[in-house]
Amino acid sequence: MSGEDRIANGHRCGEDAAAYVLGALEPAEVEEFRAHLADCAACQKEVAEFEQITGALPESATQYQLPKDLRRRVMSEVRATPKAQEASRKTSARSWRPALAWGGAFAAAVLVAVVLVVALSSGGSSTKTIQASTGAAELQISGGRGDLIVHRLPRLPAGRIYEMWVQRGTAAPTPTGTLFGVRSDGSAAVGVPGSLNGISAVLVTQEPAGGTITPTSAPVIVARVT
Amino acid sequence: MRFRPGAMRSLADEELMQVVLDGDVRAFEVVFDRHASAAFSLAYRMCGRRAAAEDIVQEAFLSLWRSGSGYDPRRGSVRSWVLSVVHNRAIDAMRRTGSKAGRDVPDDGIAERLPARDATDAEVLRRDDARQVRTALDELPTDQRRVIELAYFGGFTHSEIAEMLGLPPGTVKGRMRLGLNKMRYVLGEEARVTV
Repeated sequence: MSGEDRIANGHRCGEDAAAYVLGALEPAEVEEFRAHLADCAACQKEVAEFEQITGALPESATQYQLPKDLRRRVMSEVRATPKAQEASRKTSARSWRPALAWGGAFAAAVLVAVVLVVALSSGGSSTKTIQASTGAAELQISGGRGDLIVHRLPRLPAGRIYEMWVQRGTAAPTPTGTLFGVRSDGSAAVGVPGSLNGISAVLVTQEPAGGTITPTSAPVIVARVT
Repeated sequence: MRFRPGAMRSLADEELMQVVLDGDVRAFEVVFDRHASAAFSLAYRMCGRRAAAEDIVQEAFLSLWRSGSGYDPRRGSVRSWVLSVVHNRAIDAMRRTGSKAGRDVPDDGIAERLPARDATDAEVLRRDDARQVRTALDELPTDQRRVIELAYFGGFTHSEIAEMLGLPPGTVKGRMRLGLNKMRYVLGEEARVTV
């Protein structure tokens, strides 16, 4: 396309596809390019072709033996967390503070998120479900702990996953380490790690596989806990 | 579904993942054994420090265990899924600590190269694919290879690379595109790699 790059939706085709698949665009550019990508078949094709190459790049690294103790450490932690749901409960919320301002993302989320409000009575049980155009979600609370049940959320493309965050008061949300995909019908059930005491909201964003400590997109779910 | 201990190792990755979703630790152990060396090598390539690479691999596999439902066979192999998670974790770790390396030279000389005699048949095939990718990367003009390596293995944005190399941002993006197109051409349809 180089000589005949066309402009679609104000974006010059071909300019950003390589940097995008290499993860080298700035966060604002990523959002802009994704918006362009949704409607541009030429860029979709180029991204798909380049992803074949970047998908193979890890194999180009010199191969090293796995350190002997690492296998024992990983498997011992895995054995200590036998089921995904329990595992997510046991994971303590990490204290990372997202470097990006959540303010903008949070404000934008009001338009797109599945928002629910849950009355949290100490030690009691409650559930509230809110339907929205993007799907539905419910936060089931029992004994101060929560399970987030989602329905009809879109399945994410390769390399993307849903990540759960929690917010305490008005502080910036922190990552919980809980990552999940949805079944073919768009449903999933995940435990909120730890107690809900002091939690003002449970949020879900779409992130790169493996999760991130900094949100790269606006939340698709905001469950306010009051 | 219950498998005899030995039978688990004869399953394909995709079949194993179905068992992993049922919470089977032995199935996950087989997935780990098949791909952990590649995961560690990638993390080591990216951060250049053994201890940090170990942390990244540990974090990545634990997140895979917790979120196995995120794997979709229609979107790629288990190996590419594992490596993409490791890649993202490594970028996060480097951004968190402010250390970006993207180098292929270990800083402590402790990690040992994988000896050829340890290779299974599948590993031999994979290494052949890996050689093709490495050759395609090595054959790029230095300026194109450099921006690709700094972005992919170093976690730098195009603006950071431009500043580092004293180039206009558009030039960096252009070199990335030229480089990936050349690699695509060299690898070609017939030499399509399995990842």
